[in-house]
Amino acid sequence: MSKQRKSSLGKRITPYVLVIPVFIYYLIFWVQPVVQQVVRSFIDPATGHLSLESYRLVFTDPDFIPALRNTAIIVGISVTLEFFAALFLALIIKRNFRGASIFLFLAMLPMALPPVAVGAMWKTGLTTNGWLNSLLYYVGLLPEGEKIYWLAGSTWKMLALIIVIDAWQVIPSVMIILLAGLQNIPKELEEAGYVFGGNYFTVLRKITLPLLRPTIQTAVVLRLIAAIQIWLIVIVLVGFSRLPVLVERIVYYHEEVPRLNISPQMAAGYTMIVTVIVSTAALIYLRLSGAFARREGG
Amino acid sequence: MLTRRQWLKVLKGAQMMLFYLVVITLVFVIIGPVFFVVSLSFLSAREAYSYPLPLLPALTVRFQLTHGERGYLLSVYDRVEREYIPVLDTDDLEKMANYMESRLGTSATVQDVEAQIARLQQEDPVYFTKRANLLHNYKTFFQITRDAVPSLIRSLEICALTILISLSIGGMAGYAFARYQFAGRDLLKFSALFVRMFPGIAIALPMVIILAKMGFYDRPIGLSLVYAVGNIALTVWITASIFMGIPESLEEAAEVFGATRLQAFLRITLPLALPGLAAAAMYAFLGAWNETVAALILTQFNPTFSVVVYQSLVGATGQINLAAAGGIVMAIPTVTFTYFIRRYIRQMWGGVTL
Repeated sequence: MSKQRKSSLGKRITPYVLVIPVFIYYLIFWVQPVVQQVVRSFIDPATGHLSLESYRLVFTDPDFIPALRNTAIIVGISVTLEFFAALFLALIIKRNFRGASIFLFLAMLPMALPPVAVGAMWKTGLTTNGWLNSLLYYVGLLPEGEKIYWLAGSTWKMLALIIVIDAWQVIPSVMIILLAGLQNIPKELEEAGYVFGGNYFTVLRKITLPLLRPTIQTAVVLRLIAAIQIWLIVIVLVGFSRLPVLVERIVYYHEEVPRLNISPQMAAGYTMIVTVIVSTAALIYLRLSGAFARREGG
Repeated sequence: MLTRRQWLKVLKGAQMMLFYLVVITLVFVIIGPVFFVVSLSFLSAREAYSYPLPLLPALTVRFQLTHGERGYLLSVYDRVEREYIPVLDTDDLEKMANYMESRLGTSATVQDVEAQIARLQQEDPVYFTKRANLLHNYKTFFQITRDAVPSLIRSLEICALTILISLSIGGMAGYAFARYQFAGRDLLKFSALFVRMFPGIAIALPMVIILAKMGFYDRPIGLSLVYAVGNIALTVWITASIFMGIPESLEEAAEVFGATRLQAFLRITLPLALPGLAAAAMYAFLGAWNETVAALILTQFNPTFSVVVYQSLVGATGQINLAAAGGIVMAIPTVTFTYFIRRYIRQMWGGVTL
């Protein structure tokens, strides 16, 4: 009797013993730094008083609006483009075929590459004497003596380049996510749609896409969060300050000009902006996916 | 006129063609850039600076040697121009051997050069072929890039520590998740997901001071502590799903035979969970190995390998073959591990988080 009570008490305590390290870890290495970061962003380092100086500095920074705009453009266009392209490809492929597993691994390859490797790949490709111009020359698209200056030119051209590279890296993976989602939809449901006289597009719109919604949500929000934090490829390809984006600004102030008076506050201010934007996206996603409400998800 | 059935056949054929067209195009678009950067990393310095770049690495290099104005004139066969191009005219044999090694990507000693020069008495010019040293750029990258070797070791250390931290802490929570109902379960799940999506840079920046106070700034353990923050969530998720797949009745059976709960876990559950735990470890490795921005912020004199490659990319504009080699060294472990855990990654992408 007493032994059983003891063991049931033990059974009740065990899970807490097991999860407490995670909570402690989060407290020390997540809550603490985040709170410090927030507090510091509201304090003037010179006087130690409460101040909005960091934010004033960031909001009056001539690069702030371009950084925000460039980030927004990259996020908006990349995510939309990548989603539709991936959906289109997934709908065409949408079946198991011989060599499917090799194909799926290949499609994972671009996302599996470290950002610096992707940087190396496109830097070597896009320089004037790089492999892309060479390739175009060999296939006859580029006449002898002519070269395309990929990395020179307007902001729009740079943005387009970044978006294309991001698409190269991301579309195959999003396609795999959607493919997995598509293959989980029972065939009968779509067949029923055809039986009742639907054509391909009505079935797609009324049956397939609604069933695919959770998958789409996950894919889009995670891409959104990643795209907001784009920085490495931008710096590697065009250098600092030519195409300001939010996280690039943080790295710029922290690494490139760390000795400027305003650098710590600038880095802190930009970090807060990125934090607020990403957290909002994450919370909206968690809300949509029902993580607030439900029990385990699996 | 085609009948309805024939129409359907045509339609089906067209669909098949579209399908294969898309698959093949995708494969080329994905593989193409990877192929070119790998190929570039095998080029000799001379070829890497020529335009157009040869798009395939050479396995052998063909030389032509004759008498020159200053001594001996060395020419090398250019695969793009399809002719021998004179590259060096000197009587210093050591210089010639060095040149063949550093610029032309072959391994050559002074004796080799002497042997060819001896042949000049019978025939002029002399033609000879040497094997291309494909790994030349890799060797040079590690030789001339400051910190490359120590940073590589450091990166491996960081990965190991990150795996250790996130697997021990996250694995315990994952087990609790799989086996018990407890208050705070939803809170744990929610915070783990939220922390996972939280921007790493917002943790890294304030961690500079916290780690400095702990004495961990600019040290591998400091970065591991930061990387584990985002990784734990993933480990909880992976391990929870692994432990859910191992029936609790197995542990209960062991307890019936007199084992304690801990023994049952260690002897029965853990061995069964090992493949899954290995996948979780590889996942943690990928995160820690690839990360660059926190590494840039939290190191000063002891950068990680990713930071070293990043800096070689940002700094250099000319040394593209070396940068390519560095990038590929970075990519080898990630591609390998991704291959091993491809199933998990696919599930994860479809499920919780990237």
